[in-house]
Amino acid sequence: MAASISGYTFSSVCYHSANSNSDHEGFLLGEVRQEETVSISDTQISSAELLQVVEVHNHEPCAQLFSFYDYAGKVNDENLNRILKDRHKNVIGWYRFRRNTQQQMSFREQIIHKQLTQLLGVPDLVFLLFSFISTANNSTHALEYVLFRPNRRYNQRVTLHIPNLGTTSQQEYKVSSVPNTSLNYAKVIKEHGAEFFDKDGVMKDIRTIFQVYGALQDRVQAVCGEVEQNERVKEKFQEEVNKLKQQIALRKQKSAEEERRLQEAQNPEQRPTPEENSEPPETSLLSRVIFHTPSTPERLGPSANPPSYADLLSLQDDSLLPSLSSPTSAALLPRPQAVGSPGHPSPSPLGLNPSPAPSPSTPYLGNGDGSSSDSLDRQAAGQEDDEEDDDDDEDSSEYENLVSEVAQLPPVTASVLAQGRPAALSPDGDASVLGSQTS
Amino acid sequence: MAVSAVHLESDAFLVCMNHALSTEKEEVMGLCIGEVDTNRIVHIHSVIILRRSDKRKDRVEISPEQLSSAATEAERLADMTGRPMRVVGWYHSHPHITVWPSHVGKNQSTPLPHQFHNFSFHCHGKLFQLVCLRHSFSTTDVRTQAMYQMMDQGFVGLIFSCFIEDKNTKTGRVLYTCFQSVQAQKGSEYERIEIPIHVVPHEAIGKVCLESAVELPRILCQEEQDTYRKIHSLTHLDPITKIHNGSVFTKNLCSQMSAVSGPLLQWLEDRLEQNRQSVIELQLEKERLTQELATM
Repeated sequence: MAASISGYTFSSVCYHSANSNSDHEGFLLGEVRQEETVSISDTQISSAELLQVVEVHNHEPCAQLFSFYDYAGKVNDENLNRILKDRHKNVIGWYRFRRNTQQQMSFREQIIHKQLTQLLGVPDLVFLLFSFISTANNSTHALEYVLFRPNRRYNQRVTLHIPNLGTTSQQEYKVSSVPNTSLNYAKVIKEHGAEFFDKDGVMKDIRTIFQVYGALQDRVQAVCGEVEQNERVKEKFQEEVNKLKQQIALRKQKSAEEERRLQEAQNPEQRPTPEENSEPPETSLLSRVIFHTPSTPERLGPSANPPSYADLLSLQDDSLLPSLSSPTSAALLPRPQAVGSPGHPSPSPLGLNPSPAPSPSTPYLGNGDGSSSDSLDRQAAGQEDDEEDDDDDEDSSEYENLVSEVAQLPPVTASVLAQGRPAALSPDGDASVLGSQTS
Repeated sequence: MAVSAVHLESDAFLVCMNHALSTEKEEVMGLCIGEVDTNRIVHIHSVIILRRSDKRKDRVEISPEQLSSAATEAERLADMTGRPMRVVGWYHSHPHITVWPSHVGKNQSTPLPHQFHNFSFHCHGKLFQLVCLRHSFSTTDVRTQAMYQMMDQGFVGLIFSCFIEDKNTKTGRVLYTCFQSVQAQKGSEYERIEIPIHVVPHEAIGKVCLESAVELPRILCQEEQDTYRKIHSLTHLDPITKIHNGSVFTKNLCSQMSAVSGPLLQWLEDRLEQNRQSVIELQLEKERLTQELATM
């Protein structure tokens, strides 16, 4: 089997994933076709092979996790239809983006995949897994992707090609003609070759193809203009929704405070002591930050005195994040994504970074860590049972904090990357030529 | 002094990825537009795709006209946003090769003849020609970056590494890194400083990023046209050779349309449809929240 995805679709998935504050998933739309390849051997016997080619044309992102399945991994047909609408027949697979996890399907994903295979009626449904890892100092990030055929034996993996221009160099142009003194040759090619050129000496085909290109570019511009308008409309609605959510959150907070004050006023002897208070204010405020983060953070202006980057990264104790007084601005800060460490202070002038041991992870803002959302959900649902762990020790957790060693990293950075990834996932030193060229 | 971090807006990140994934045979490059705040954090709001003056496989150059256009674009963005936007960095791709910027080889001999007056790229008589020579492990990324930093200490370099596959596990990989250069002592080799980089969520794609994205097919076509014009002006070619060259032009333009313009148009249409759906859902959510607020 061969598989391909356009660079634009691939980038779009990366874009949606980057905007997501937790794991991200969606469906792959495209088509599967059979290609016949004929191979001829020395024995003059040609053998034809049928190659299945999966072409991913676009993707349908899910707005949030658990949008078509529940915590037990049971797929909801109705929700599935609501997401896919009339594009059922175009679904050829689905994808998942996770941070700092193994490149293996989790147990839940396998369960979901089996159900999707039946519900969608695609016997060879594929699964594309994206995994995101970073160096400890967040200077380098890697997005790894594997295409699985889970319905095949041994969960077969398929190389995913990204068709591209290949070479756009102009080396194929000829700057000189092959020397030829034959008068007949010159006469014939001049007489019949003239058919290819117009009165200006320009090749007719060039004018034609240029017209095609021009028309296509005009259409691209036009659709781009529509998309731009659409983006602004969506942005405006998103801002309004965010404002409403903030107002609701504020009202709820005020009413909760009023209720508490009222209770305290009515029963002063039952006022809770600080030691008895099971919910420290920092935690409750942090909770409010997590659950009430606007989905589209506003942009911080340079005059807004953003919190110190070093402060954010070097959070070591339970002290409040400096921005917690303003949940909106807290959500604006980029999510530390390094594995296991609180991030790195600014590098030294000589570029020599210390090699920190793994330390308590920086708290994510707004479920930046996929584990936070899922672990909270799991705790809430109480779905995590021992059976899952017993069955799949290797991929028991979707959010294992495992990072591969990248051998080509400088020693100072390589040492902070934890082991855990199969040794086969070696760095990119022995990269191979990849991608289909369309020329 | 080195910058403390880079915040790359996700829509600018999208354009960089689109550009890097457009070809696996050559390095592509562009400029980053944004601002630097008081905490030495570089905020990249958009990028500009650049034409390549030199299409040889192992080098990337920027023409002076493009550099000047980049400055103009930065000024336009500054007018739009009301913020002091400028060119704050550059990016380029490493197809099939390591993401780490390589250091200058001892045999590097390409001179850097001129210098810009400042990084607003207004060419005052002289022009700065940046050349990024790349051999297998002796590129000039770090030195090129150092040249930029002579004029702007906040200038950062981004590299996107793509089209990498682990054959054993069939795992593909795309990496991106951020760096600056430093010279420990005068006259010594430049060293790379790793700079933390984060992609900042930006749910809607900005106008400038969209315009940059659709600029790629136009740039590719212009490059092809320029090359063909030079070839076409050669008068000593026989008709067969001219037909051959015309066919090469047609073939290359067809490749560009099928590999770039077509998928770009498809993505735009998909985005349009996704946005329409999102707007409907947002409208419903707005109504629901308005009702909820009214009952409180």
